[in-house]
Amino acid sequence: MILLEINNRVVEETLTLKIKNAQAGLKNESIDVTVADFDGVLYHISNLNGDKTKIRTSISLKFYKQLQEHENGYNVSVLLDLENIPQNWPELIKKLGLLKRNCFASVFEKYFDFQERGDEGQKRAVISYRDDETLYVEAKADRVTVVFSTRFRDEDDVIIGKVFMQELKEGLRASHTAPPVLFSHREPPRELQNTDAIVDNKVGYVTFVLFPRHTARNTRDNTINLIHMFRHYLHYHIKCSKAYIHSRMRAKTSDFLKVLNRARPENKSTDKKTITGRTFIRRD
Amino acid sequence: MSATLKPYLTAVRHTLTAAMCLGNFSSQVVERHNKPEVEVRSSRELLLTPVVISRNEKEKVLIETSVNSVRISIAVKQADEIEKILCKKFMRFMMMRAENFIVLRRKPIEGYDISFLITNFHTEQMYKHKLVDFVIHFMEEIDKEISEMKLAVNARARIVSEEFLKRF
Amino acid sequence: MDGKLPACVIDVGTGYTKLGFAANKEPQFIIPSAIAIKETAKVGDTTSRRLNKGVEDLDFYIGDEAFDATGYAVKYPVRHGLVEDWDLMEKFLEQCIFKYLRAEPEDHYFLLTEPPLNTPENREYIAEIMFESFNVPGLYIAVQAVLALAASWASRSIEERTLTGIVIDSGDGVTHVIPVAEGYVIGSCIKHIPIAGRNITYFIQSLLREREIGIPPEQSLETAKAIKEKYCYICPDIAKEFAKYDSDPGRWMKKYEGMNSVTRQPFTVDVGYERFLGPEIFFHPEFSNPDFTIPLSQIVDDVIQNCPIDVRRPLYDNIVLSGGSTMFKDFSRRLQRDIKRTVDSRLKLSETLGGGRLKPKPIDVQVVSHHMQRYAVWFGGSMLASTPEFYTVCHTKEDYEEYGPSICRHNPVFGTMT
Repeated sequence: MILLEINNRVVEETLTLKIKNAQAGLKNESIDVTVADFDGVLYHISNLNGDKTKIRTSISLKFYKQLQEHENGYNVSVLLDLENIPQNWPELIKKLGLLKRNCFASVFEKYFDFQERGDEGQKRAVISYRDDETLYVEAKADRVTVVFSTRFRDEDDVIIGKVFMQELKEGLRASHTAPPVLFSHREPPRELQNTDAIVDNKVGYVTFVLFPRHTARNTRDNTINLIHMFRHYLHYHIKCSKAYIHSRMRAKTSDFLKVLNRARPENKSTDKKTITGRTFIRRD
Repeated sequence: MSATLKPYLTAVRHTLTAAMCLGNFSSQVVERHNKPEVEVRSSRELLLTPVVISRNEKEKVLIETSVNSVRISIAVKQADEIEKILCKKFMRFMMMRAENFIVLRRKPIEGYDISFLITNFHTEQMYKHKLVDFVIHFMEEIDKEISEMKLAVNARARIVSEEFLKRF
Repeated sequence: MDGKLPACVIDVGTGYTKLGFAANKEPQFIIPSAIAIKETAKVGDTTSRRLNKGVEDLDFYIGDEAFDATGYAVKYPVRHGLVEDWDLMEKFLEQCIFKYLRAEPEDHYFLLTEPPLNTPENREYIAEIMFESFNVPGLYIAVQAVLALAASWASRSIEERTLTGIVIDSGDGVTHVIPVAEGYVIGSCIKHIPIAGRNITYFIQSLLREREIGIPPEQSLETAKAIKEKYCYICPDIAKEFAKYDSDPGRWMKKYEGMNSVTRQPFTVDVGYERFLGPEIFFHPEFSNPDFTIPLSQIVDDVIQNCPIDVRRPLYDNIVLSGGSTMFKDFSRRLQRDIKRTVDSRLKLSETLGGGRLKPKPIDVQVVSHHMQRYAVWFGGSMLASTPEFYTVCHTKEDYEEYGPSICRHNPVFGTMT
C-alpha cells in the first residue's frame, strides 16, 4: 500500500452489514459505534431516538467551525431508514464512507471556483485541521496555493521528513503534470510571514501551487483526493521508513551476532554412545 | 576500501591483539569481589595508558586496558544529520539487545557511540583472535550499513514523492 | 465529547486479530492474523532476503486480503500466541493502523494484548515498534486473561468486580485454563487442553460422514461448522438426551439446508444427536481423542487445586468463559454442576476422614457467562481503555524517551477500584 485509501472502511462495512441483515430479514439490533478517522475526525453511528430501524451516521470535525456552520457536537448527520432501504444503497454507503473527504473538498472547491472566476480579492482560508497543524488555501487568477504546516512529534522525524520534502521538491522532474512543490523547515513561507504561523524547529511547511490544469472541473476531484491526504501520506511514509530501518537493523544485528558467536569454541559432545543409543557415564 | 581505512583497521587490530592479554584478578579492595578493573578503577597500577587510534576527527577508537579487562569504544563516522540519527538508532537498537552480545556495554563511553567490554572471563571462554575479528568486522560493516541505510531512505523518499506527484 | 480521541485496542491472536476503537462493544474488524508478502530471492536467510532498495516492503496484504492475493507467500507472524517474526509484526501493525483503523497513531493511545507467560523482552520489542516507528503517545500492554476477567464485569454488580478468577479461553485451536490472582497470572498453574472449536467441527463432520450422503465432500467441513454454530448446545445428561430424541424426534431433530457451491443445487442435512454430542467432547474428550481423556471440569479443578491455598475459594467462585467455543448454550451451567460435584465429593470425603467431627464450610462454585464472551478479551480491553484511569497507567512517549523500553516490562494492574 503506497497511497492511503480515502474512504472509511469501518463506516462502510458497518452500514453494509446492517443493510444486508435487514434485507435478509434478520432482527434489527441496536447500534452505537464511535470510530475515528484521520485528522481527529469522529464518526458516530447510532439509532435515532432508540428506534432500531433508523440509523444515524454523524461526523464530527474539530475544524468544522472554520468550514462554516456549527451544530452541537457532531456536525453532519445522515439518516438511514432500514425499513425503507433505497435502491442505490451501495452508492449511498460509498458516499458516507467519503464523508470526511467531502467535508474537506468543500473548501478546495470554493477556492478552485474563485480561481476559475478570476476572483482575487478573497481572503485566505485558514483551517486548523489538527491541533497545531494548519492548512492555508489562497486563490489567485492563475493559481491556487495550498500550504500545509505539519508538526513532527519526534526530532528524528524532522530529519527524515526533510529528506522526504526535499525529494518532493525535486519530484517535478518525474511528472510534467504535477504541481510545483516548495518546502521550508522551521520558517513559514513568504506569503505567510507576518501571520500567526508557527515558527518552530519541529514544524515544516509544504506549499503546493495548483494551476488551472489541476483545478479544472474534470481533474479537481482527483486533485482534492490527493491533496487532502497529503499530510498523512507524508507521515505514513516516514513511519514506514522507520519500520524499514528497523527491519534492516534486525537483519544486521543477527548478522553481527553470528560473527560474535564464531568466537565461541563449539561444544564437542564428549559423551560416547553405544550402538543402542545408551550413553556411557564416567564414574570416578 | 579507501587508502586510509586499511592501515586504520590494522592499527586497531594489532593494538587489540596486544591488549587482549588478560588474566584473572581478584579485587584488592573488597574480599571475594572480581570486577573488571577498567570499570571500577580501584587502583592506578592496574590500569594501562589508554590508546586512541583515529582515522580522522570523527572516526576514532579508544582502547583502555587493565589487568583483567579491556574496554573498546568506537566513534562511528556521521557525515550528516541523517547518518547521525541512523547511527543513534542503530546503536540504541543493539544496546537494547546487549544481553545476546555478551561483550557489548549497555552504555557507550562519553564521546563515543558504542563500547565493548571484554574481560578475562570472555577471553577464557572464547577465542581471542575471533573476538578481535568481531570488533574489526563490526567497524567495517557499521559504516557500510549506515551509508546503505541512508541511500535506502533517500531512494524511498524519491519513489514515494514521485508516486504521489505523478498521480496529479 | 471531550476532544480526546478514543484509544485503539488491538488484540493480535494466533488465528485472528481483533481491532477497533475503545468504548465500542464489538471490535470493528476481525481479520485473520495473516500477512502476504513477496519474497524475491530464495537464497540467504529470511532476514537478508527481505531487504530491498525501494519500497517493495510496502507491497503486502494482511487479513482476508492476504489469502486473495496471488503470487504472494502467506505468513503468520504470531505462533502460539507469541510473536515470532518482528519484521512481519511491524508491517502487520502498520496496515492495521493506517488501512483498517485509519488512525494517526500520534493521536491515539494504544492498548495491545499479550498471552500469559509472555517474555519481558517481547514487551520491549513491541514498545520499540510502537514508540519509535509509530510515535504513539501512550501504550499499555495487557494480559489477555486479565482482560477476559474484566469483560465479565459487564454482567455483575460493582462490588463483585474482582481480578481474581479462572479464565477458560477456548478458541479454534486450543483451550487454555488460566488462573489469575488479583490481576496477576499464576503462570505455573496454567493448563492447555487440546480440545477446542476445530475438534468439535471435525467430530461433527465424522458423525455426518457416516450418515448423510447428500453433503458435497468439499463442503463437508463448512457444513459441519455451520451446524455447530447454529444448532449445537450442551446437555445435562447424554443418556437422557438420547431418550428424549428417540421419543420425540420431530421436536428435536433439525434440518439444515445448504447449497452446493458448484451446481447451485440445494441439499438438506438431518441434524440429530450431533447437536449435543459435538460440544460434549469438552466433557468426554475420549469421544474424539483417544490420547486425551480428562474432562474440562476435571482440568479446571486440578488447576485450582494446584494454586496457592488462599486463592482457591475465590477462584472457584469466579470461573470466567472467553472465546467463541464457549458460546454453546448451557456450557456454563454444565461446567458449574460438574465442578460442584467434584468439589462436594472432596469435601464429603474429608468430612468422613475427619470422623464427622469437622464440618467443612461449603465451597461456592460459580461459572460466569456473559454477552461479551465471544470477543471477551477485546471487549475487556475496550472497556478498560475507555476509563480515565487507563490514561494514568499507560506508559507515555515521554517516559519511554526518558527511561527506555524497559519501562514496558511492567504494566500495572488497574480497574479494580472503579
